[in-house]
Amino acid sequence: MLESVPPFAPVLVAAVVAAVAPRRIGHAVGLLATAGVAVGSLLVAPGTHLPTALFGFETVLYRVDAFSRLMGVIFGLIGAAAVAYAHASDADARMTAAALGYVATSLGAVFAGDWLTLVFFWELMAVTSTLLVWQYGGAAVRTGFRYAVAHGIGGSLVLGAVVWQYAAAGSFLFEAATGVVGPVAPALMAVGIGVNVGFVGLHTWLPDTYPSPHVAASVFLCVYTTKTGVYAMFRAFPEGHLWIAYMGGAMAVFGAAMALLQEDMRRLLSYHIISQVGYMIAGVGIGTKLAASGAFGHVFNHILYKALLFMSIGVVIYRTGIEDITEVGGLWRVMPVTFVSYLLGAAAISGVPGFNGFVSKGIVIAEAHKSMKTLVIGSKSMPLGGEDLLWWLLIVGGVGTFMSFIKLGYYVFFHGEATIDPDDAEPGQAVPMLAVGGLCLALGLLPGTLFEVLPNTATVAEKYTTYTVPHVAESVALGVAGFAGFFALKGPLARATWIPDVDRLLNPAVFYGGRALVVGVTETFAAVDRAVVAVASAAVDVGRDPGRAAYRVVDRLPGLETAPRADGGRQTIDLRMSMGTSVFLVVAALTLALALLL
Amino acid sequence: MTDGLLPLLVAVPVLAAVAPPLLCLRTTGTGWYVAAVACAVEAALAALVVRSVFLGGAVRHVVGGYERPYGIELVVDGLSAPVVALVAVVSLGVLAFAYTAGPRRNSFYSAYLLLVGGLMGVSVTGDLFNMFVFLEITGLATYALVAADRSGRSAVAALKYLILGTTGASLFLIGVGYAFVETGTLNMVDLSERLAGSYGDRAVLASFGFILVGLGLKTAVFPLHTWQPDAYSYAPDTVTTFISALVSTVAAYAVGRIVLTVFTPAFFEAVPAARAAVLAFAAVSILAGSALAAVQTEIKRMLTYSSVSQFGLVIAGFALVTSDAVLGAVVHLVGHGLMKGGLFAAAGVMAARHGARTVGDYARLGYRSPVVAGAVGIFGVALVGIPPSVGFLGKWYIAVGAVRAGAWPIAVVVFLSTLLTLSYVARLLERLYFAEPTEPTDPAVGAGTDADAGAGTGADADSEVGARDPDPVADGGARADSRAPAAVSTGMVAAIVAAAVVVVALGFATAPFEAFLERFLGGVFP
Repeated sequence: MLESVPPFAPVLVAAVVAAVAPRRIGHAVGLLATAGVAVGSLLVAPGTHLPTALFGFETVLYRVDAFSRLMGVIFGLIGAAAVAYAHASDADARMTAAALGYVATSLGAVFAGDWLTLVFFWELMAVTSTLLVWQYGGAAVRTGFRYAVAHGIGGSLVLGAVVWQYAAAGSFLFEAATGVVGPVAPALMAVGIGVNVGFVGLHTWLPDTYPSPHVAASVFLCVYTTKTGVYAMFRAFPEGHLWIAYMGGAMAVFGAAMALLQEDMRRLLSYHIISQVGYMIAGVGIGTKLAASGAFGHVFNHILYKALLFMSIGVVIYRTGIEDITEVGGLWRVMPVTFVSYLLGAAAISGVPGFNGFVSKGIVIAEAHKSMKTLVIGSKSMPLGGEDLLWWLLIVGGVGTFMSFIKLGYYVFFHGEATIDPDDAEPGQAVPMLAVGGLCLALGLLPGTLFEVLPNTATVAEKYTTYTVPHVAESVALGVAGFAGFFALKGPLARATWIPDVDRLLNPAVFYGGRALVVGVTETFAAVDRAVVAVASAAVDVGRDPGRAAYRVVDRLPGLETAPRADGGRQTIDLRMSMGTSVFLVVAALTLALALLL
Repeated sequence: MTDGLLPLLVAVPVLAAVAPPLLCLRTTGTGWYVAAVACAVEAALAALVVRSVFLGGAVRHVVGGYERPYGIELVVDGLSAPVVALVAVVSLGVLAFAYTAGPRRNSFYSAYLLLVGGLMGVSVTGDLFNMFVFLEITGLATYALVAADRSGRSAVAALKYLILGTTGASLFLIGVGYAFVETGTLNMVDLSERLAGSYGDRAVLASFGFILVGLGLKTAVFPLHTWQPDAYSYAPDTVTTFISALVSTVAAYAVGRIVLTVFTPAFFEAVPAARAAVLAFAAVSILAGSALAAVQTEIKRMLTYSSVSQFGLVIAGFALVTSDAVLGAVVHLVGHGLMKGGLFAAAGVMAARHGARTVGDYARLGYRSPVVAGAVGIFGVALVGIPPSVGFLGKWYIAVGAVRAGAWPIAVVVFLSTLLTLSYVARLLERLYFAEPTEPTDPAVGAGTDADAGAGTGADADSEVGARDPDPVADGGARADSRAPAAVSTGMVAAIVAAAVVVVALGFATAPFEAFLERFLGGVFP
């Protein structure tokens, strides 16, 4: 029975119900539907279900393997937590409806068995998430518009890649080829998905959009788009790719570095999504089984702690209405529950031993060690580079993560006395927060449980031991470096917050470039149109009265004259040659012919 | 057996031409019957010869048993057979048209038969000097026929034609003379053999230049066409029908014969400039002729300039010297003869019935003379080159030949000529069927539009034509237009319709044309 209901269906129904039903009932139905999906994903048999025809092509609506199962479990789980949180955070029923639609389309994408279905839900995801942002109104409308443009471009690239893939492989099905094949499709696909996962340079929509809507909407947003992107990246490049691995490393460093400079709480967290997704992309790019498992483990864990962080910070914003870290402080005393859940999330994202982030990030970093053998920048044994360049990038990213979460926690919960006295989290907020935080801790303490959910469980369990002295030492070193770094650089960091991101250039460039393109196309078309109309009307004139057209031409030619007719009628040209002229013409023609021939 | 018929093809009409003047001693109305018998015999002879060529290849007759290089040879092969057939059929058809349309004087039919004999002579001769002689016979007979209207204008037109035609014939003769000096023979086959190897000689080149310009004038290729508009316009409609269908056609055939048989494609290979010059000549003629046709308001002048353009196409087809292009040229030669003859005959009927001489006069005649107007439509559409019609076939093969020979400018010109042809044919058809109904007696309505220049039906409408062409006959006479047929019979209309049917039917006749040309071209293109 489970096999016949694609997971997106119940959530979509819940979205419709949430849109029309009373708020409480809508949220309850949403909670049930998402939780049901999480459980159902665990129980459903692997394989392809619901083969169907979409637009006349052979497609699979519901395909279950270890990877999509993991995505389904975590999407459902965090969906349920986020719905509960949204209800407690006074979220609008329509917002939750849009969010549930977003969850449903994401589920459709990760359970797709072919590229066509995937890109179909991919585009719908962009639509539903834009609705989720727009629904909030105000400044979110502008950011939502930029979000829509970015995803429109990315989605189009993916669509182009999928078409090319069909041309190369002859089928949309995942089974038809190993990942994306052909000369052009991989590049298009990488860039198109790159927009969704926030490749450096293509990431600007992310810190732009996520801080702008309702706090509960941010919890939804931080989960689905980027992680679906990681999933799709794995489907496209199941054997990894060198440049993707390096891009992951770059994202890890760039995201953390930019996060360090932020003072807007949710913006800081948003940059951290880029950094964390960098680890996942690096794992996918490395291409080994273990690295892929590590990447998906990181997807799973990241969703937990990132949602937890957004929920905790959301409570702060919900209670204080302040988004700037410099305007609050010392909240740990007045908001202990929120502080504890933030601490759980921050520890998990920083990879403190005993938390789930430590497990999955450890796998990726371990696999990155000495992994870059094909493309070596500098000599192989060069310090901070060579074969270990990726590893170093990920380590630096780890230090940056520590530093930025120390910064966030320090400014929000310590840093002087609390000047305001907000209430702590609502019970409805605290329950999902603590549940997710507990899960972060549990999975960190019992990594075997996490491995059970991961793909390639046997390989992971056999090849990777979570708690070894080097791993723990590495983490401790990262932590120490993070603490030392933050407190050493606290002053300069506070003064460096003016450093802009590329969107300062990118947004005007896209705006003016787009306007120039539109104006250019319009003007070009208008010019063509004018030319065509002129030619057509000239042709009509000539056709209507060839005589008059000829007279007009004669008027403009030097040496020829037209004379008005004696009766005042139309002008005339006398074409009748005299005999003398005719004989002259004959002689001239003969002379010309002989001159040519002789 | 059939080779004995070849001299008869020439002799029968020439000898018969003597009869009408003699009969004048007793009666003046019997010329037509003499011509009818002669043309019927001619047609039968032509049918036998063409059938023989179709079945057994070229037919030769050595006159008097004197073999070449000294004797005179008559030849009908795949190239000339379609022209022989065309001459025989058209002369019979126009004669049928003339029964009611007139002129009925005996002297007219004498010239008519002489013309038939001259045309047949040009078509069947295998000798260059004989070709000159027959061209002169053709020319002289044509001058006489053009003047048959007996008006001042037709006399002047005939005189102009005479002076220019004689000039052209003289140039041709000079060219033949150079060739004779160079080779010592006048027989075409002999000439081609002896010319081989001396293509670069100045005498040979000069010979080619003179012959081409001379024949170009006879064919009326731009800018040597200046005699043609006057001659065609001021000749009686019957005469225009006849000479437009055959005279230039036979001259163009002569060009093809000279290029393919005497000078052969090898000459063009040795002297690429000659080929380029002829092609340029032809291309200019195609475009200029069409453009001039498009600006005419008088129907007959328009059709004349159209001929200038169409013969440019034929010359281009011959000058491309590929088998496709030559096939196209021959098909277009025959097709143009039928289409243009039919159009001039229809113009005559329109002039006789409605006094229509200009494009403007044709307003809504499609509803008053539906059958003839329908035929005009068919001829016009065929002239544009819309299938199924012989006009399409000819243009198509010429265009294909141009493309295969890599002569892209010619292919483009053929396409452009189609558009230009469409421009004047469409104007005619628009007038015939889609003109706004106007009051024919109100001269103010037509001012400034195509509907002006109304001629023929009344004194007021005649003022436009009168101002341009003072015509003593036009005003107040019993007949408004002396050139137009005296009356219109059902037979005349039937002849026009028959021509239209043939024009469409020949659109499916690729196979016979190819069969005719296959053997001939096999000899020309080794």
